[in-house]
Amino acid sequence: MAVSLIPLTAAVSGALPLTNGGTGLTAGGPAFGVTRTGSNQSISNATATKVQLNTEEFDTANCFDSTTNYRFTPNVAGYYQLNGAVALNATTMTIIVGFIYKNGSQFKRGTDIRTTLNVDSLVTVSALVYANGTTDYFELYAYINASSGSPIFVADSTSTYFNGSLVRAA
Amino acid sequence: MTLYDKIMAIYPELKPQDFLTVIRLQNDSDGKGDYIAKWEHPTLPRPTQEQLDGVQ
Repeated sequence: MAVSLIPLTAAVSGALPLTNGGTGLTAGGPAFGVTRTGSNQSISNATATKVQLNTEEFDTANCFDSTTNYRFTPNVAGYYQLNGAVALNATTMTIIVGFIYKNGSQFKRGTDIRTTLNVDSLVTVSALVYANGTTDYFELYAYINASSGSPIFVADSTSTYFNGSLVRAA
Repeated sequence: MTLYDKIMAIYPELKPQDFLTVIRLQNDSDGKGDYIAKWEHPTLPRPTQEQLDGVQ
């Protein structure tokens, strides 16, 4: 996908190369937007749990698995901006956290609130990440420590979502 | 009873924040349930499966 240096005196068609200060992209890279809809996702207390994002708003390169593994596996090497949010609820929550996982391991931590919450709450997490375009994958996780009630991820397309796109070639 | 409940029954001295630092319980939404992804508590040993199974 990356393009070699082009002399600035030359005619340029397609993308401006990285070496010329461009993105190096010759075509739009993968972009996706997915949400949790239908039923709320019940989770265990104090357990980092993958969000089952089951509805695709768009998935330009079919890189998001919204039926089995709920993960984004981009097929173009480069740098991706990822954004996630999860609506959480339990009768009383004392800690809530959002995470992006890379290849099955915690990679970036977002919202981390440690106080008593008695209402619907939201955690968010965003990161610019590198993906090798073949095996690297990314998932959205969240964590609730509830002192009472049963913790859930709320099914709501406006507040439980994960999206991202390629912003620069490798 | 969840894995968290069982661990708290075995080690009631654990604090909520321990589960974001030295201990990590995880569920990968793959049908395999909760598991201990990390146990690095400085004084309390990782509970054995027998201990966990013994909690009612």
